Amino acid sequence: MVVRTETDRLRRLRRNVLELFLSEQAPDAPWPDTLRRLAETLGMTAVRYPHPSLRVAWEDRSNPFFTFDNARCVSCARCVRACDEIQGTHALTMFERGFAARPVAGVGPLDGTVGGFAGSNCVSCGACVKECPTGALMEHTVAEYGPSVTSVRTTCAYCGVGCAFDAGIRNDRIVTMMPADDGPANRGHACMKGRFGWTYVYAPDRLQAPLLRRGDRWEVISWDAALNRMANEFMRIKDRDGADAVAAISSSRGTNEENYLFGKFIRCVMGTNHIDNCARVCHSATVTGMMETLGASAATNSIDDLDRAKLIMVVGANPTESHPVVGAAIKRAHRRGVPLIVVDPRRTELARLADLHLQLRPGTNVALLNAMGHVMAAEGLLDRSFIARRTEGVDDWLQAVSGCTPESIESVAGVPARQISEAARRYAGSGASLCVHGLGVTEHRWGSHGVIALVNLALATGNLGRPGTGINPLRGQNNVQGASDVGCLPNYFAGYQKLDDPALASLHRSVTGRPLPATRGMKTPDMWDAALAGRLKALWIIGYDVAQTDPNLKKVRQALQNLDFLVVQDLFMSETAKLAHLVLPGASFLEKDGTFTNLERRIQRIRKVVEPPNGILPDWRVVCEVATRMGYPMTYTHPSEIMDEIARLTPMFAGVTYARLETAAGLQWPVLSPAHEGTALMHRDVFPHGKARFVPVDYLPPGEAPSKSYPFVLTTGRVLHHYNCGSQTRRTAIIDLVDADVLEMHLSDAARLMMREGEIVRLVSARGAALLPLALSDRVLPGHLFTSFHFPASEVNLLLSSSADESSKCPEYKVSVVRVERLEREELDAEDEEEIRHVRKRLIG
Amino acid sequence: MARLYLSNDTSSTAAGAGRLEEACRRRRDVELVRTSARGAFFLEPIVERDTPDGRVAWFSVIADDLPRIIAGQGGTPVQDIPFLNRQTRTTFANFGVTEPLSLEGYRTAGGFGGLRAALAMTAQAVIEEIKVSRLRGRGGAAFPVWNKWSVAQQADAAEKYVVANADEGDAGTYCDRMLMEGDPYRLIEGMLICARAIGARRGYIYCRQEYPAAARTMEQAIRLADEAGLLELGDVRVELEVVRGAGSYVCGEETALLESLEGRRGVVRAKPPYPAMAGLHGKPTVVSNVLTFAVVPTILARGGAWHASLGTDGSRGTAVLQIGGRVKQPGLVEVPFGLSLRQVLEEFGGGMAPGARMKAVQVGGPLGSLFPESNLDVPVCYDAFAKAGAILGHGGIVVYDQDTDMVDLARHFMAFTAEESCGKCTPCRVGSMRGRELLERIQSGGGNGDDLLLLSELGETMKAASLCGLGQRAPFPVMTAMAFFPDEFRRAARGQV
Repeated sequence: MVVRTETDRLRRLRRNVLELFLSEQAPDAPWPDTLRRLAETLGMTAVRYPHPSLRVAWEDRSNPFFTFDNARCVSCARCVRACDEIQGTHALTMFERGFAARPVAGVGPLDGTVGGFAGSNCVSCGACVKECPTGALMEHTVAEYGPSVTSVRTTCAYCGVGCAFDAGIRNDRIVTMMPADDGPANRGHACMKGRFGWTYVYAPDRLQAPLLRRGDRWEVISWDAALNRMANEFMRIKDRDGADAVAAISSSRGTNEENYLFGKFIRCVMGTNHIDNCARVCHSATVTGMMETLGASAATNSIDDLDRAKLIMVVGANPTESHPVVGAAIKRAHRRGVPLIVVDPRRTELARLADLHLQLRPGTNVALLNAMGHVMAAEGLLDRSFIARRTEGVDDWLQAVSGCTPESIESVAGVPARQISEAARRYAGSGASLCVHGLGVTEHRWGSHGVIALVNLALATGNLGRPGTGINPLRGQNNVQGASDVGCLPNYFAGYQKLDDPALASLHRSVTGRPLPATRGMKTPDMWDAALAGRLKALWIIGYDVAQTDPNLKKVRQALQNLDFLVVQDLFMSETAKLAHLVLPGASFLEKDGTFTNLERRIQRIRKVVEPPNGILPDWRVVCEVATRMGYPMTYTHPSEIMDEIARLTPMFAGVTYARLETAAGLQWPVLSPAHEGTALMHRDVFPHGKARFVPVDYLPPGEAPSKSYPFVLTTGRVLHHYNCGSQTRRTAIIDLVDADVLEMHLSDAARLMMREGEIVRLVSARGAALLPLALSDRVLPGHLFTSFHFPASEVNLLLSSSADESSKCPEYKVSVVRVERLEREELDAEDEEEIRHVRKRLIG
Repeated sequence: MARLYLSNDTSSTAAGAGRLEEACRRRRDVELVRTSARGAFFLEPIVERDTPDGRVAWFSVIADDLPRIIAGQGGTPVQDIPFLNRQTRTTFANFGVTEPLSLEGYRTAGGFGGLRAALAMTAQAVIEEIKVSRLRGRGGAAFPVWNKWSVAQQADAAEKYVVANADEGDAGTYCDRMLMEGDPYRLIEGMLICARAIGARRGYIYCRQEYPAAARTMEQAIRLADEAGLLELGDVRVELEVVRGAGSYVCGEETALLESLEGRRGVVRAKPPYPAMAGLHGKPTVVSNVLTFAVVPTILARGGAWHASLGTDGSRGTAVLQIGGRVKQPGLVEVPFGLSLRQVLEEFGGGMAPGARMKAVQVGGPLGSLFPESNLDVPVCYDAFAKAGAILGHGGIVVYDQDTDMVDLARHFMAFTAEESCGKCTPCRVGSMRGRELLERIQSGGGNGDDLLLLSELGETMKAASLCGLGQRAPFPVMTAMAFFPDEFRRAARGQV
């Protein structure tokens, strides 16, 4: 068959159709770019239709990031399809018919009134804006500064999905962040935070210069003075109190190179292993649990595997809010007919869609997962061949789950026995079941056990080592995987190599010139204890607001205040920085080169898009300068040289170079040699230690149980709009959508306590109290409360205990017992009143 | 006690059958039986009585005529009515005779014979019989029916659907409504045979909301058929359901119909995939016109060869034409394909209404081409019409007289499309609006020769580039009007109306 795409007739038809498009555009405004270019191509200059009727003048300005201008629309409905087919939110529809047909968000179901984006369920992912061919949907930043002229490929610095973006630049200013179609993790999609939440880099209150505390005020000092001061203080304290008196907490928001270098500073300059990163408070239990069973602690499969799975099980994770691009991929899979099981105490968006929602009581993961194992064993659903070939210790596990009948677990977990059985049958029988899990598994007193119980199920059913299967932790920060990978851990060197490995010790000495300290260092919670006990004198924290985000804040703040010397590097004056002796401004991810490792072990480049303001040094340069001033020269001229050094020291990165990272795909570790292509699927033929191990775990109750004084269980987590401590997202237009943490309470509890929607209540635990506005919902169970921790004013983490996972010290953010008290208005101060005025009800589905 | 037969059809009711019923009910000496309509609407209300020589009919009856009818005075034997006795009634054989909801009556008239035959055959053999019949879709596109069925039958899917398109929206057509109101089991039988052939377990009748009586009758018929166990085909149960449309003309287009059936906006889908591959909910679906399904039972009962023996080479079977407009005898005509349009209008239409002179004839609804009086010798069949740049469509024939303003008529049809366009494709969404505007400009005397050229070019663009039949066909009435009555357009464009 011959297909002709250029004939006279076709050209005539194209011109005539284009003329119809142009005929409805305002004659006095310039044609939208796409149409103008087409017109030029087709040699068209004017519309022949006399006085044609035009599009209805209608604008939707209700979204804080973009506008819709119907006058420039061509009713192609690509925006509607983007919302339906890419994001799966269905916020947009075509409205009216015939000539008047136009896209709208938020149509009233009965009366046809148009509410606009703000009144719809739009999640501001920006897919519609990206797909709009005419600029009818336009970002505010593009409208204000003009369309981008050049772009630089980089990687998003919010969650662990690792979305690739093209940062668009005009006049040395970033004007847009456009998700890249060839981004391996995001395939052209994005979420509100990555797409629109980057304007904090231009926030007026960004730190510009080093600040030294003088009593209760800050003095601006030069970089040289600041770096000298750091070197002198660390040397003084080391000489006076010993190397154990100094510790460092690294940023899992920073690059691999910066994290490695910070570890190198502690190990080579200070001579200890007192370094940790915030993986401690999120997925450290995953590290422990997966190491013990599988021998490697990272997602076993890739994001792409969501397209290959025949069943997806989401355990203790809320990806449509916390990892929205993965959430959208799960929704797409579900729309294709892939069954979805959600294990979560909350009725999240995915839980509402799920074929099966096991709405368990917080803290009962192990009981529920063991009961699923019991059903699999009892009903002969095990993959005996996989178990025999690839695992050991199955008998111990069978023993452990033998008593866990679904009927006996029903009263513990609060999930009907038949649902547990059904989930077990489906997971075991799909042919390829993929599990993703989040902090709902790890942030418990027995979090490591939860991870182990999950891995046991995958081992028992052969759901590992094959496409579309696996155990896949959804890592919270852009580089929390990488920070641990490159050795910002007190108990492992880069690549999870043992500190007492003699071969590593000699390699380390030959590469760095210094010995590798063999003694384990302090985990973050140990550092607080050491500081309170007076053993820890100096602490260097890069890009981590422990004084807002760690549990039991009172204790954390006391520990920080007890230090002789606290240095904090951050973009903003964080709660932690406020307690520091010296504060250094940081360069954002858009202002430096490096690499991040996403939740599927994919190492991807970030590239300098713009210069950091005011000569700010990126973190890696600061570490180099301080080390050099302390007598250990670090002379790297570019992060690629640091990566080369990581590759030399770390077998799993042996084949990683910047040259190879130039491709859009990046590299998924392990990359064992320069010729090795990387690893999309782990454990295909063999586990790191040969066989994987079943580890029997028994259900044990959470650290706290509701009592008469504290009858509610409080879980904390994130919402779509904000990111962790909120220091970035709060400084963007996202604040127009959500400007407060709220407390989700079940309607029946509210009715019993006679509390109303929007009412400010006091949340009280044995540790402290916090004020929060109430949002009534059926997302939580009766007796269960949920809130986020994005706003310092809420001080939610004051409430939380120091209870943590026994093995990993991962804090029990998901279970604290509290009571809720009504508030008399007289108790509120002016600031509270102001906050109440600003609290807007968040959309709760 | 006299047993009188009176049509229950909506058109008959509009002609006065409803008032007549009331009059009959008041009399003790009348047993009234409501039947389907003969289709000779120019004679309605018709009252009939049984005689040993068959039915005798009284025409245009009013209440005052009842005593005379009861007394047996006057009346015309039905077999002597030329409008009817010249027709070849096959699909409409029961019309005027049976009671619509009487299963017994339908069976007595041979009903369910086709289904019985189909159940004794393999699915493949049923489709083969349809292939032999050379039946083409009666909704307008005239696609070979066996082909659709075969594609759907061979598609591998857990669910398949049968959908009857009862969104009969063309002005001047009413045969689907008559079928649903008058012989509902025939549609059910046709759909069941199709379900049996393709392996569907669910069927929908998508009925326009402007047909409340048809929808009601179909629902009652489905219930009665179900109670009689007729929806159980061996070990397979077929669920049938009537779904009412929401008033959109374009929902008569099969893909827009499916969207509407799925509960979405009635906008067309791009094809392929065709519904037989991926239709309702993405599953293989046979969408056919009510009339098409209504032909199927007779084909299965009498054999495909019987059907193929009627009509012309490319158009086998009978044409069901609905004559309206300025003729003497508007009504439903079923004849084998092949008579000329002139013959149909003269023999059945009975010529022009008193005082009316023919100006143009439009066949195939508001998107159909116009024929001037001089072009009426075209044979009524798919191929000859296609050759003439026209369509048979759903068989609607509207006759316009000398008082018709052709520019205004053209404007009316373009405005109709602008009103009914779903808005999905630009040639139709914007083009129909521009066409309407140009015609309004010409009509108001503000136009010029360039406007007529632009209108022609717009027409060519819409024909070639529109997504569905609405946009593709919309220019035909306008352009045929321009072609056959150019002076009227030129005069109007010059402002000399």
